[in-house]
Amino acid sequence: MSETRRMPETVTLTIDGKGVTVPWGTTILQAARQNGIYIPTMCYLSKVEPIGSCRMCVVEVEGVDGMILSCQEKAVDGAVIRTNSEELFHERQKIMELYDVNHPLECGVCDKSGECDLQNKTLEFAVDTQHFAARDQHRPVKNWGFISYDPSLCVMCEKCVRTCAEIIGDDALAIETGGYKSTIVNTRDLSDCAQCGECMAVCPVGALVSTDFKYTSNAWELDRIPASCAHCSAGCQMEYNVKPSSIDNPEPRIYRVTNDFEFSSLCGAGRFGYDFENRQAKKDPQILKEAAEAFAKAETIRFSSVISNEEALLLSRIAERTGARLVCDEARGYQKFLRAYRQASGRSLPGADLESVRRSRVILTLGTRLYDDAPMVKFAVATASRREKAQVIYCHPMEDLRLQKQVTQFIKYEAGSEEGVAALLATTLVDRTQAPEELGRFLEDLDIGYLSAESNVSEEELDRLKLTLWKSKRFTLIVGEDLYNHPRVENIARILAAIERHSDFELLVIPPASNSLGVSLICDLADEAQGYTVGVNAPGDYVLSALGDGDCDLPAMNQQEGTLVNLEGRVVPTHPALPYGGWELADIARELGIGVREIVDLTPELPAEEGFRAVSFDELPDYFDVTGAEHRGYLLERRSGEGDGALPEEPEELESYDGTILYRCNPGKQFSPFTAKTHQLREEAKLLGSAQFATAARIQDGDRVRFVQDGIEYEREFRIDTSMKGTVAINPVFDIGLRGFAISSYRFSPAKLTKAGSADE
Amino acid sequence: MSLEQFKDRNVGTQNYTMLDLGESPKTGWGKFKQVAKRSVKLELFTGLKVTFREMIKALFMGEMHTTKYPFEKLPIAPRYRAIHEMKRLLESGHYRCIGCGLCEKICIADCIRMDTRYDENQRKEVSEYTINFGRCIFCGYCAEVCPELAIVHGGRYENASEQRASFALFEDMLTPLDQLTQQKEYPGFGAVSPDADKKIKKTPLAY
Repeated sequence: MSETRRMPETVTLTIDGKGVTVPWGTTILQAARQNGIYIPTMCYLSKVEPIGSCRMCVVEVEGVDGMILSCQEKAVDGAVIRTNSEELFHERQKIMELYDVNHPLECGVCDKSGECDLQNKTLEFAVDTQHFAARDQHRPVKNWGFISYDPSLCVMCEKCVRTCAEIIGDDALAIETGGYKSTIVNTRDLSDCAQCGECMAVCPVGALVSTDFKYTSNAWELDRIPASCAHCSAGCQMEYNVKPSSIDNPEPRIYRVTNDFEFSSLCGAGRFGYDFENRQAKKDPQILKEAAEAFAKAETIRFSSVISNEEALLLSRIAERTGARLVCDEARGYQKFLRAYRQASGRSLPGADLESVRRSRVILTLGTRLYDDAPMVKFAVATASRREKAQVIYCHPMEDLRLQKQVTQFIKYEAGSEEGVAALLATTLVDRTQAPEELGRFLEDLDIGYLSAESNVSEEELDRLKLTLWKSKRFTLIVGEDLYNHPRVENIARILAAIERHSDFELLVIPPASNSLGVSLICDLADEAQGYTVGVNAPGDYVLSALGDGDCDLPAMNQQEGTLVNLEGRVVPTHPALPYGGWELADIARELGIGVREIVDLTPELPAEEGFRAVSFDELPDYFDVTGAEHRGYLLERRSGEGDGALPEEPEELESYDGTILYRCNPGKQFSPFTAKTHQLREEAKLLGSAQFATAARIQDGDRVRFVQDGIEYEREFRIDTSMKGTVAINPVFDIGLRGFAISSYRFSPAKLTKAGSADE
Repeated sequence: MSLEQFKDRNVGTQNYTMLDLGESPKTGWGKFKQVAKRSVKLELFTGLKVTFREMIKALFMGEMHTTKYPFEKLPIAPRYRAIHEMKRLLESGHYRCIGCGLCEKICIADCIRMDTRYDENQRKEVSEYTINFGRCIFCGYCAEVCPELAIVHGGRYENASEQRASFALFEDMLTPLDQLTQQKEYPGFGAVSPDADKKIKKTPLAY
């Protein structure tokens, strides 16, 4: 936009006689909604660009002939708008009448009945006669895995198609145009679509519904429990929909998960992996005594990141009292990373959040298999790619074809060379004219030839990256789990801190697991377990487990209240959806003489020096307002100081991985044994590799192989994934129970496979 | 007619006919004489004659005035609201209930529960349906709201049983398949009005 014509910052207009002032660029519909004025819509979805397929949002603008689509038209200064008149009502009534042509009268059985936009608007516009007719089509119901699609109920509003393209970035859904015959089609093979269920969430009618939920309950029978998803570090907003299991069994059961789809999204794990509760737990005084004794004599308390902030704080208090050391294998490397980053940059947390990713023009990812590690970040990248035409540079040892729509440059590096790659990126990204002299000298002194030879990142690739950055704006650097357990994690953190400080890049650090960020802020973690170990959702000599397989039970995340810190540094509350009959950590703490009544009494006591606020749990808000602003819990207070600006060290000589390599990574919808336990997501873990890997490792598709990774012995079926390349195979850990929570080694490791059986047997 | 007339308790001023019952005896001797006189005059049999006449009419002439209750039952008014019945479709014999849950929702005594599921024929199937008759107040809302005329009130008014559950399940209320032809429509709340055909607005068809 040219600088000569400056746009006013706000505009003032009149809607239905009410004067409203909104920022420049706001549409009439948004302006009305922000000021509590109702304009009916059928296809409008706040989180995507206006679709404009329904024409319900028409308004009259004084001095303009005809009707104006308020969802697309920007508000202008001085406009006088009427949202309601006889003609408008008539127009909208006719639109609803058209929507109702041949719409099956099956509200009685339809899942959407009671929360259906078509039902509501048909009644609102008093459609009691039908003047239109069309020959009805044969439209068979289609089953898309978790989702089923009934084309005869579809009103072709396009919300699902737009969400899939703009929010998810999969473009799995498309419209097969054909006038009245139009339908939505799934263009992707099922395995290729993220199966996130977002299309189903945004569907205003009962056309897209959950196959599992279908016909099991009416919308109005379900109690909605607000919660935050604890499967990964995104901590997404969601609601557990709860109802008694059956007539015989009054125990509540979670029937489905919904979310505030206007403003937020969920991935497949959050939406379909909800029944991981610990049902069998009982209150046995003997067990409580044993658990307290185990804690009293424990030298180490080992726990997983699937834990609320309050529980983490309680564990650190118990450890303080008993003198035990705290070990969280998932979060340990991350804490090291975070501390080194803080020291170097002076910032308490990295600067980027998901919204800034969505608005970025250049996104660089390093050390994360984005699609599987953090679906919400991937969604944000997809949105940026779509809306901002963002350049996405994906640096990883394995190419991910599922991201090929978004990724504009793939930089492949050798496993283990993250430190060198970070240094190479620093030489490319850091603005030498602004950087302090020592940093400039450090970058000058780097042996780029050696680094690029070792990491296999060519200088041409870096030059191309440099060209991408030219004259662009809004840069985000996303880093992930591969870096945290790298032996040189602290130096990598210093390099990244230098990049963030001396370039236009903002850093987004994806925590490795659910509440790793909270754990890293609250607890002082030790490196290694020692002596008698109590495992809280982790292996140990005495095990407390929310999976129900330990010596003492714990409530699962859907059975307890508390707060989590998500990857944006937001402290989000979660509430119990299901009852829990056993002992909680608070009971054990009381037995040990630590006075805590309810676990959420600790919410205001979370460490203020880390940015937590002294707000009681019940006062935490949990909603999105009409503009889409998030009011869930609160954001951690970010501090920025000078930092010591400590120079990164020279990258160390790289450990080389020759031959076949294993990469520890759970597939898309699996994050932990908790997702693996749920009835919809249950699946067999398989070792996935490319045909090249199979040749190199001398195995075939379907073979059973034995191998050791991270000290754990596996026997898995090997499958060739045709979308993969290279000699790195993916080994999931979601099926090994609590042992998966005690892994703290680097994600790549050399593969030594032995055949346990072949495909032919 | 105003209420005033009913509120007037002054018998003397109203049109009552007084029976001439004569004087009641006042003394003990007088009472004895009355008893003796009535006994000797066989006045008793005047009354018994009526009884015998009715007995003979009832036993031999087929004019019985009472019903042998547990074995015989009087027909009750068609709109009486007793234990519910679940109707079947006459054409297919399939139950009419579509599992929409409206009866469950409208029930003010909160006594109806149903479980539904997705069946093999891609239809909503009612897998379980119960009414807690210990709670039901027989208000008839369920029958009125039912869009399919599936749940209606029947004529079974005896609510005593060894356990309430014995007539609270779906199968107990459902018309037995072999009695499908005897299934009657319910004329009470929720039934189709006699002029329903005239009220229907036709949807235009393109073919």
